[in-house]
Amino acid sequence: MAFLLTMLGAALACGLEMLEALAIVLAVAATRRPRDAVLGALAALVACVAIGAVVGPALIGRVAGEPLRLVIGVALLLFGLEWLRKAILRLAGRRARSSSFAEFVAEREALEAEAPPPPGQPDWPARVVAFKGVLLEGIEVVLIVAALGARPGGAAPAFAGAAVALAATVGVGLVLHRPLQRLPETELKYLVGLVLTTFGTFFAAEGLGVSWPLGDAALLVLLAFYVLASQLMAAALARGRGAAAEVPA
Amino acid sequence: MRALRKLVLGETWALPVGVVLAVGAAALLRAASGDAAWWRDAGGAILALLVLGALAYSVYSSARR
Repeated sequence: MAFLLTMLGAALACGLEMLEALAIVLAVAATRRPRDAVLGALAALVACVAIGAVVGPALIGRVAGEPLRLVIGVALLLFGLEWLRKAILRLAGRRARSSSFAEFVAEREALEAEAPPPPGQPDWPARVVAFKGVLLEGIEVVLIVAALGARPGGAAPAFAGAAVALAATVGVGLVLHRPLQRLPETELKYLVGLVLTTFGTFFAAEGLGVSWPLGDAALLVLLAFYVLASQLMAAALARGRGAAAEVPA
Repeated sequence: MRALRKLVLGETWALPVGVVLAVGAAALLRAASGDAAWWRDAGGAILALLVLGALAYSVYSSARR
């Protein structure tokens, strides 16, 4: 149960982050030179691997037992609740739906406004945009995989999920941007928020000395609890929006 | 630095502050219980409710803006 949920959470979270990074790199490659986009992205990947090599062992080696579970739980709650907050607002129509394709278009328009350097000279703005985009999304991938993988038995499903996400993102990249328009990103991000918040609550509680009555099966109860609560919140917000729209000006 | 802060803490202060308050309140309850059986059995549900409170506050404060 925990294995499957960890793998699902890691795969979805990493996949969506990688997709956002891919949208930025594709936008840079389409409007400037593909070589500069790839160089910026590769430099960011090296930086992410270096950060992962430091964060992972530090998290597992320096903190252990209940404090480790509490640290992991709080980290997952910070990520998961932020995804969940945005997803509830999107489902209620209070925020634009998530779209990597829209990010791709916006990034491309911003880059087109600036003239590229003459041939033969490095395109530093393009490299920096690709580097920053991949680095920021990559750090989030590293932190989520480190947090999910730091608990006992969590490394295998977390890395497996990240590998699945990487393969899927490369596949999307190979057929360019068309799949970006088809993905139900808002719903997928909602699911990631639910899974990360569920794990965050589970681990943080264990870090505070709680012994879950149902063991790992408590994860499903927590998941159902957050699904119900978030759906109620989204419905209440959507109703409030509809009522406000009906009020005559 | 702003991008990194947004990455780790999110777009609003309400959520990280809410998480810290929820976990802090749960830690206080645990300390007050002296690791009693009721905390070990019901502490998870209490923490989930506190976390839900933090989420609800951040969602509604974002919706008002």
